[in-house]
Amino acid sequence: MATVPATRGEAVALHDLSHAYQSGPKSLIVLRSIELEIAAGDYVALTGPSGAGKTTLLSIIGGLETPTRGSVTVGAHEVGHLRGDALASFRRTNVGFVFQHFGLIDALTAVENVELALSLSGTGQKARRERAMRLLEAVGLAERASHLPRALSGGERQRVAIARATANLPGLILADEPTGNLDSDAGNRVLGILEDLRDQRGCTLIVVSHNPTVASRARIGYRLADGVLEPS
Amino acid sequence: MDTFGLAVTSIRRRSVRAALTGLGVALGSGLLVALGTISSTADTNVINRLSHGGPVTAIRVAAAAPKPNQLDSDSFQSSDIHLLDDSSVATIRRSPYVSSVVPVMTSEAFAMPARGDSFFGMMIGIDLKQLDNLPITILAGRMPTPDSLTEVAVGSSYLDHLQLQPAQAPSVLGTEVELGAPRRDIGGHEGFRARWIRLTIVGVVAQQVADGDFIVPIKQTELARQWALGGAPDPDFPLLASQYTGLVVIASSLDQVHTVRTEISALGYATSAPEHLIATVQRYLQVVDIVLGGIGSVALLIAALNIATTLATAVHERRRDIGVLKAIGARDSDVLRWFLLEALMVGAVGGTIGSIAGVGVAEVLGLGVNNYLVAQGLGGVDLSTISPRIVLLGVLGSSLVALVAAAIPALLAARVPAREAVASE
Repeated sequence: MATVPATRGEAVALHDLSHAYQSGPKSLIVLRSIELEIAAGDYVALTGPSGAGKTTLLSIIGGLETPTRGSVTVGAHEVGHLRGDALASFRRTNVGFVFQHFGLIDALTAVENVELALSLSGTGQKARRERAMRLLEAVGLAERASHLPRALSGGERQRVAIARATANLPGLILADEPTGNLDSDAGNRVLGILEDLRDQRGCTLIVVSHNPTVASRARIGYRLADGVLEPS
Repeated sequence: MDTFGLAVTSIRRRSVRAALTGLGVALGSGLLVALGTISSTADTNVINRLSHGGPVTAIRVAAAAPKPNQLDSDSFQSSDIHLLDDSSVATIRRSPYVSSVVPVMTSEAFAMPARGDSFFGMMIGIDLKQLDNLPITILAGRMPTPDSLTEVAVGSSYLDHLQLQPAQAPSVLGTEVELGAPRRDIGGHEGFRARWIRLTIVGVVAQQVADGDFIVPIKQTELARQWALGGAPDPDFPLLASQYTGLVVIASSLDQVHTVRTEISALGYATSAPEHLIATVQRYLQVVDIVLGGIGSVALLIAALNIATTLATAVHERRRDIGVLKAIGARDSDVLRWFLLEALMVGAVGGTIGSIAGVGVAEVLGLGVNNYLVAQGLGGVDLSTISPRIVLLGVLGSSLVALVAAAIPALLAARVPAREAVASE
């Protein structure tokens, strides 16, 4: 793996965090008074059954959703208070998302997908192409740079997604079931890349998975059930 | 890969849909441009026809006093002779609303064509250097050179004397005609003597400068007048006393035609200008323009709806992509720009193709109309009047319509929440 620039992890703190989805007059509570503190550079796994609220919790930490109640702090950012461009800026520079379904733009090639993140942060055309290629090289996909996502295997797509997630040197990487659609070999390689990145760059890594084997690789594990978070 | 690149790539990867949407824009803008071009060319030609090939602001002035109702009528409403000379011309030229004044001098002439019967006609002498300011349309050949004393252009009435059809106008070119300027004998005789000149016909024209059959340089009619003035006064041609028999005055704009006519009437001269006719025809042409524009606009509106539908579908299909974009840090404005750029490109490309095709269709139609008009012995349609501005307007208009059509879908796209990135997971 090629070397990647070092960064600093972001500490995460959740206080009295609750979240509910409104469906007409009914309210579905998915997270209940969650308290959580994650140190900068830590490696945390969140497990739990389907529908337990793992993805929702990850989305709230990453600023994709606003909690119904409570506070979310990532580094110096009070995420729940961010709106509009400030929230977009937070997501762009502080967080890297890795999705179960990869989240690649089908119309763009592997390198273009990585470049997209760099473009949003204002990196110049030449610099972003060079950097995107280095990132793909770091995940072992330099020679697949010009391929569209549909021409890549699941593992390769996820590695492109990791390259994109780390393009802007975020202090926090949120991986939602990163191995969920992969076979065990590909899953292991993807997890290995994420762990290497965390080791080299010191970023905070939160992995959501319902797979106990995946969860066991983290330094700290939490289990989410019925909206309640407990150490596992 | 920025939002521009993303828009280009999105179009490229969905090329069939983009092409069909662009085709809709092309059809709409093409129809609008074609109708606009045809309408504009037709308007110009109709107005030119009303002004008989000269400037639409041309006013004919007669060496005669006006009747009180002169300004209510487009035609001469004249009473007694009012001599026109250089001082009158200078006074009219001083008006700020007059751009030029062309003196006209007519003279009687006994004509002996190379074939056919002789007849009594009129020579019209003008400054041929100011041809552009005169209501003259060349049907065949050319005008005499401005200083020539051996060339003449004949009016279509000359063809009538020779019992020729308008389409046969070229057949008289190069033939000769002898013109005799009459001088009434002095001493109570009823006889005339003539000053004979032999002229070569170099052109056939339709003209509304003055009543007459032969267009010649004004020097020719000056010589004829001097000859006639050497004899007894001719009661049948009292205008001989006037230095000029008429003027063609060009107003600085169509809006000033009435003002200039009023000023000339105040100087005591009768005038003629198709101002009321042009105003009426312009009103009718405006209605036609509105109808044609409406038809084109409906086509463009349909194209706009097509763009809106296509983009709305795209927004629905790309909700996850939009969510992912936002998850990696895209602002609402980035997403808005992505969709607007995509629409703008489709609109601009479709508009360019459609506008060029529209002008092409108009050119082909114009060519057909031109051939018909020329075959009928009429002046053709001037295709050079097709303005590049129409093409530019077509492209800009299509782009603008595409942007407007894309506004709501693009706003909807910009409002797609970031959580859509994980919605399917």
